[in-house]
Amino acid sequence: MAGNQYSRNKKNPDHDDAIVVENLSKQFRIPHERKITVYQHLAGLIAGSYSYEIFDALKDVSFTVKHGETFGVIGPNGSGKSTLLKILAGVLYPDCGTVQMNGKIAPFLELGVGFHPDLTAEENIYLYGAIMGLTKRMVASKYEEILDFAELKRFENMKLKNFSSGMAVRLAFSTAIQTNPDILLVDEVLAVGDESFQKKCSRKIDEIRRAGKTILIVSHDLGMVQKLCERCIFIKNGTIISSGDPDMVIENYRKTLSSHS
Amino acid sequence: MHSMDSIYHLKREKLLFTKYQTVRSPRGSIPGIPLGGNNMWLMQYRDLIWNLTITDLKVKYQSSVLGFAWSLLNPLLMMLVLYFVFANVFRFNQEHFALYILVGIIAWRFLANGTSTAMLSIVAKPSLVTKIYIPRHILVLSSTLSTFISSILEFCVLIPLLFIFGANITPYILFFPIAHAIFFFIVYGLSLVLAALYVYYRDLNQIWEVVIQLGFFLAPICYPITIVPPQFLPYYVLNPVTILIETYRNFLIYGLPPGLRSMAYLVISATLLMVIGKFVFNRLERRFAEVI
Repeated sequence: MAGNQYSRNKKNPDHDDAIVVENLSKQFRIPHERKITVYQHLAGLIAGSYSYEIFDALKDVSFTVKHGETFGVIGPNGSGKSTLLKILAGVLYPDCGTVQMNGKIAPFLELGVGFHPDLTAEENIYLYGAIMGLTKRMVASKYEEILDFAELKRFENMKLKNFSSGMAVRLAFSTAIQTNPDILLVDEVLAVGDESFQKKCSRKIDEIRRAGKTILIVSHDLGMVQKLCERCIFIKNGTIISSGDPDMVIENYRKTLSSHS
Repeated sequence: MHSMDSIYHLKREKLLFTKYQTVRSPRGSIPGIPLGGNNMWLMQYRDLIWNLTITDLKVKYQSSVLGFAWSLLNPLLMMLVLYFVFANVFRFNQEHFALYILVGIIAWRFLANGTSTAMLSIVAKPSLVTKIYIPRHILVLSSTLSTFISSILEFCVLIPLLFIFGANITPYILFFPIAHAIFFFIVYGLSLVLAALYVYYRDLNQIWEVVIQLGFFLAPICYPITIVPPQFLPYYVLNPVTILIETYRNFLIYGLPPGLRSMAYLVISATLLMVIGKFVFNRLERRFAEVI
């Protein structure tokens, strides 16, 4: 209830922006000794050792993404890209700052989340569809399309544990793409399956872009970011180093990389 | 015509965006659903809850040869053992002692199995916590629901036995679903606390196993309540599970009406456990994705 009050107090949201991130910060506490049992906690209490280090994953990050924009996030490993994406997806809570998402979100942090090896392809489509926020009726109406896109019609009744990893990923992508989101959060999952399926995927992504959907991509593939994105940001050590035109930002990123090596 | 279309499109789009607006802040995620009450998630995610529940049951019964039959054989065999021990060795004078034990065991199994499987429900599906946002209590809810369905099936098997052993069946048996629904919330509330704590304390299942063992003998499951020493009785009946099992027996075996005081006590305990469960779960849920 308190939560609802909070959202009402916010000033009228600007609907031109799909994602509004304001002063976002996130800290992780990394204990020197990871305690995961009651016994260890009790032992720790007696010994009095509760020391931990604070790691700033994100420091005061602000940016906006407009509706219909393809937005890239680049940066070296451990720069906070994934943390940012997880906060946007709602998996992690920020320590301070706010994130506003204006639209239906489809997080593609990992494909095939919740797939069960002991279920058949058909059952997994319904399960994964439900996890991605589709109703049973929606999945049923798209069912043939999903199997056709994945090219797995023959294996409809086969258990997932007998699938190759490529087949499973194809099934996941085909299902996930049916969520018809306004905002797509993508974490380097575009490269799935063999080459022909990859082409099919990038065509689909292009289709989604042209349909005016917002896409946020976190990637190491600078070439792809350059090709797809209209704007991008470069994050390092949890802060935005540069933002704007991809060509400029990527050049900046490359310069930072080479100056370190 | 074309411009009209695009204006309409824009309007519709804006409406949609408001519908799905989400604000995330240190205080949590607030899906901006218009008129979104506290229990909106139940409607929004009902397909998912049901799907996860069915998946749980499917996997459970698929992996064993006898499948579903096991879940029915198990309490029957256990009753046989306990009946033999307690009827021949201890010799209690309890009317319908076989049924008495069976009802106790089936009721207890829901609590024992329900809490110990639901406790693991968050940790067992880490990708649903760290890779996508769904309200996490859905995992606990669907796990509890699947044990609940198993428990209902076990009680269904009991019905012919009630006739065979000559229980006094009266219309009061129709109160049974109400009692079982109350029991569901007791188990769900407990499971919320346990599942949330288990994410942080991974040896909790060992501790809980002992508690469950202890509870088995602290509730009148395999002995009549009359053998409890009178000076302990006031404390003994504080246990909601004791009241619940006795209520089940009254409805199913002895054909007695529900006691107003015990029903009120059960409703209050279930509500209290749910409130505590929700509170603890919401508190601990924030860092699930970091520690899982």
